[in-house]
Amino acid sequence: MQATLTALVAKAQTDLAALKTRPEFEAAKARLVGPNGELTLLMKQMGAVPKEDRPALGKLINETKGRLQGLLDSALRSIAARELQAQLGPEVDPTLPSPDAGPGTYHPLTLVREEMCRILRKVGFIVADGPEVESEYYCFDALNTPADHPARDAQDTFYFPETARFGNVSKKTPEEKYLLRTHTSSVQIRTMLKGPPPIRIVSPGRTYRRDTTDATHSANFHQLECLCVDKNVTVRDLKALLDYIFASLLGRETKTRFRPHYFSYTEPSFEVDLSAKHLPKVRKEWIEIGGCGMVDPVVFAGVGYDPEVWSGYAFGMGLERLAMLLYGIDDIRHFYQNDLRFLKQFA
Amino acid sequence: MKISLNWLRDYVALDAPVEEISRAITFLGFEVENVIRTGAPALRDVVVGEVLARDKHPNADKLSVCQVDVGPAGGVKTIVCGAQNYQVGDRVPVALPGAVLPGDFVIKQSKIRGQSSDGMMCSAKELGVAEDAAGLLILGGRPAIGTPINQVLPPGDVVFDIEITPNRPDCLSHLGIARELSAWFKLPLIYPQEKFRGDLDDAPDPSALRNVSVLSPEDCPLYTAHIIKGVKIGPSPEWLQRRLAAVGLRPINNVVDVGNYVMLETGQPLHAFDARKLGGGEIVVRRAADGEKIVTLDGKERVLTSRMLVIADGHRPVVIAGIMGGENSGVGDDTVDLVLECAIFRRQSIRWTSRRLGLSSDSCYRYERGVDPHTALEAAYRAIDLILEIAGGRVSGPAYRVGSDVPWRREIVVTHDYICEKLGFDIPADEMRAGLEGLELSIEREELTEARGPAWTVTIPSWRDDLDRPIDLVEEVLRLHGTDKIPAAVVTAPGLIADDDPVVLFNRRATDYLVGHDFHECLNYTLRSAREIGTWVSETAAVELALANPFVDDQSHLRPSLIMGLLESLKLNQSRGVPASRLCETGRVFIERNGQNFECAAAGFLIAEPIGEKAWLKRPAADFYTAKKYIGALAAMAGVDLVRQALSPIAGPYYGWQEGQSATAGEMAQGWTARFGLLSLPMVTSMGVEGKVYAGIFAILPEKLTAETTRRRYVEFSLQPAAFRDLALVVDAAVHADEVRKGLAKITRTAVGGAFVLESVEAFDVYQGQGLPEGKKSLAFSLVFRSPERTLTDDEVNVVFQKIQDEVAKTTSWQIRK
Repeated sequence: MQATLTALVAKAQTDLAALKTRPEFEAAKARLVGPNGELTLLMKQMGAVPKEDRPALGKLINETKGRLQGLLDSALRSIAARELQAQLGPEVDPTLPSPDAGPGTYHPLTLVREEMCRILRKVGFIVADGPEVESEYYCFDALNTPADHPARDAQDTFYFPETARFGNVSKKTPEEKYLLRTHTSSVQIRTMLKGPPPIRIVSPGRTYRRDTTDATHSANFHQLECLCVDKNVTVRDLKALLDYIFASLLGRETKTRFRPHYFSYTEPSFEVDLSAKHLPKVRKEWIEIGGCGMVDPVVFAGVGYDPEVWSGYAFGMGLERLAMLLYGIDDIRHFYQNDLRFLKQFA
Repeated sequence: MKISLNWLRDYVALDAPVEEISRAITFLGFEVENVIRTGAPALRDVVVGEVLARDKHPNADKLSVCQVDVGPAGGVKTIVCGAQNYQVGDRVPVALPGAVLPGDFVIKQSKIRGQSSDGMMCSAKELGVAEDAAGLLILGGRPAIGTPINQVLPPGDVVFDIEITPNRPDCLSHLGIARELSAWFKLPLIYPQEKFRGDLDDAPDPSALRNVSVLSPEDCPLYTAHIIKGVKIGPSPEWLQRRLAAVGLRPINNVVDVGNYVMLETGQPLHAFDARKLGGGEIVVRRAADGEKIVTLDGKERVLTSRMLVIADGHRPVVIAGIMGGENSGVGDDTVDLVLECAIFRRQSIRWTSRRLGLSSDSCYRYERGVDPHTALEAAYRAIDLILEIAGGRVSGPAYRVGSDVPWRREIVVTHDYICEKLGFDIPADEMRAGLEGLELSIEREELTEARGPAWTVTIPSWRDDLDRPIDLVEEVLRLHGTDKIPAAVVTAPGLIADDDPVVLFNRRATDYLVGHDFHECLNYTLRSAREIGTWVSETAAVELALANPFVDDQSHLRPSLIMGLLESLKLNQSRGVPASRLCETGRVFIERNGQNFECAAAGFLIAEPIGEKAWLKRPAADFYTAKKYIGALAAMAGVDLVRQALSPIAGPYYGWQEGQSATAGEMAQGWTARFGLLSLPMVTSMGVEGKVYAGIFAILPEKLTAETTRRRYVEFSLQPAAFRDLALVVDAAVHADEVRKGLAKITRTAVGGAFVLESVEAFDVYQGQGLPEGKKSLAFSLVFRSPERTLTDDEVNVVFQKIQDEVAKTTSWQIRK
């Protein structure tokens, strides 16, 4: 009996080690310890064993049973390990490139625009939007630009035929013509007409000038404007905002300076220079970055704000120009060609 | 405009360094575009010398040791020189020790290779006279030895090229800029002395000019003419020629030059006629007849229209008013009697004519921007003075003056406190007063107000028509205080209860999403070519999208879609050998509907087959359903649930999409539209783009994008296990899956009743082919059931499932596939 049990264990050891799949394992298990298994059959012979031998034999059988179970467990573990390996496949070569496209990239003008908007949001400005097709009133008249002003000339501004109709762009009068806005200042007017002050908006957007396309000019380009209307807004507040914007954008050492200038919709008006020593590809001490001023009382009167009560400032700049300065880009056309070798440099 | 420093010094004694003057002009509000130095700068200790002897330097091949006579004061100097272009006997500039040449080059007594040198013989470049450095400046005309060099060389000048803003036509003149600088540097402004005050030298003799009539007074509010007889035409004196040349004008003859000089001095354009050439002895200011012609001074024939103002004689136009004279009436060498015109023309009229003819001039530029009518006569008198002085002659009668001169009077009352309030910082009242008065904004009265500090009544001179309100004086005060002195401050920012515009939020979310899905964000031009537009919209729509005045042919129409630009970007990358597959853009598009355009916010993308890109591991290619996923996400950002929308295939000759491989949802009547799928393969191929291109665009009216005003409410969901059943239906191949899904869902819901809930019905398999009849397909749906409060039993689900199948068999044409 003992010899039989030893042989059973030895055979099981060999057989189980050769098992590769779960069905094989289940079959082998049944063969050994199942209801009709070899060990079970041996156990059933216990009755025929003399009573005094039974404890020793019982112990032997239990030991055998334990050893078989151990063998079975180990066989199952190795099958599970084999299955896992099959499921996992071969080891990866971590140095191979991913065949998937990516990552995506933001356009540099988006990056600059969003950065400016973030900076301005921190000081209470919200981002406004308005139509790119405008009427003469919103683009010019409301901004105190007289009918004979050169900026309104068909030589500089894109107009639509008098018959053109835009279903969702409102006109002030039926006679005025539609045009492509020459600046985002029209958003100021539409915002002010929507409700009373206080107002703090930043309006980035596309603008259009009838101009030759070259390294620094483009038929459409982007501007970003700020408008603040409140009580007791001063020239000093305007300067503080510009100092804040450019120190945030370019570092604390950045300075701005104002030079008197003329815009029809602000009084006084200024051009804004930026200390430029730390900018790439700039060899001047100061460079012009935008225009600004205190909102002209005529503009306030036109939108129904009392100029005696409200005051405000406006600031505007070209986004392409800013991006060109920040990144050292020397040709505006890159922004509209979308060569991926260009786009991938910034995001 | 070009402003000469020497010329300015006639009116204001500027002695500040050029850099400081340039800075002053800048901070007065006139951008200095360029500073040009001409002639010789003031040079001390540089004199005329004569080379008496020239010997080779003992220790250097290329140097000479010269004996140079520098006149009685200096005697004969030994000077080492490296130049080769001179000979003994030549007279040259010699910088003596102590002289400072341009570039702060100090001349000292020195030793050059062991040989002492007592100064330097100079080239034109070293003196700052010219760029030429080829050798010594050999002085022609043998000037006296020892003469200070500035007496020999043309005087130096500095010319500022200045941009004058349109509100300051008064500064299109030397006097105007001088006035600004006199205020800045606190120096007096000296006006030119005028002798002629309107008194005629001769008794009126109408033979030279019988009559002046203005037939178009609205275009010509003031016309004056003076007759000067017996002038002698010739070249202008050197000082006059030099001044004109310095600011870029070619001297012509003494009379014409005086006209230009006075214009550049005062800003008032003038014109001189040869009295003999005025046919009929008269001047008529009138509109031209349509088709009337004139040959202007530049030799070109101009065809006029009836909106254009001309100065005519009895027979024909002789000047295009305010713009340019005709060849037929100008002052020539043989002119003896002059008619001097000094007039005011309406800005708009001049501008229109100038633009129309494509013809401009210095005179026209000033008229367009506004000439002060109240100082016109002063300018005429000034010109008469100069003509009499330079060309001789006498002022003869009659003097004509047509038009009224409404007397000028303007006052602005402003308080010290008002100015400080607007500035946000304090400037002392004395400084303000001094600044204003420096600009000849004289303070007529000062009254002390109780609460607002001194109140000033400021008289505005006629040439400052731009000053009309107290705020305008704030700018004047600040300009003279210095805009670079605005004190720093912190930004104060009250929180406003408002958020970014919904369009901004949509663009931002769409871009974030697409970039997050590996797209490269592009920006393309809004304006597209007619040809390109024709591929995308109908002819009638193209008409509506056209500009009235495109600048170039390929940018003539508004874009109706973002896809055309993205395709162009794709093509550019492909043609440059740059692998590109996923491109996106957000921006405005313009969609025509029933003869009206609608400006829409839009987000678009395209996915191209990666051409020429090899990969060690193949990925499944993008297809229609890839595009559908992205367009669904974009629509959701705009608040549109595309799942609930009817989708229809895109058909028709336009629109750039491939029939049978693309779909559309929404339309402008609803305020939005979505298009997606495969782009027309023939179109893409004809563009030269390789491979299939899938794309999508979602466009929506900005006003439809509204901020979500109500917050989402939480909806409870069941924690009970779900029960699943699959059902395959054989249907006509042409039937859309969603139609069957909706029908099945309806049947299922009825079958379920209130017992539990049908959670979802989704197609999960589509099959067509072997085992199915021709023209049929099998759609397999997965049904998910759940109860909110208990585990469903197989039996109750089976009962319902059976009911569904019975109902399908009974009420539909679908076969249940077993």
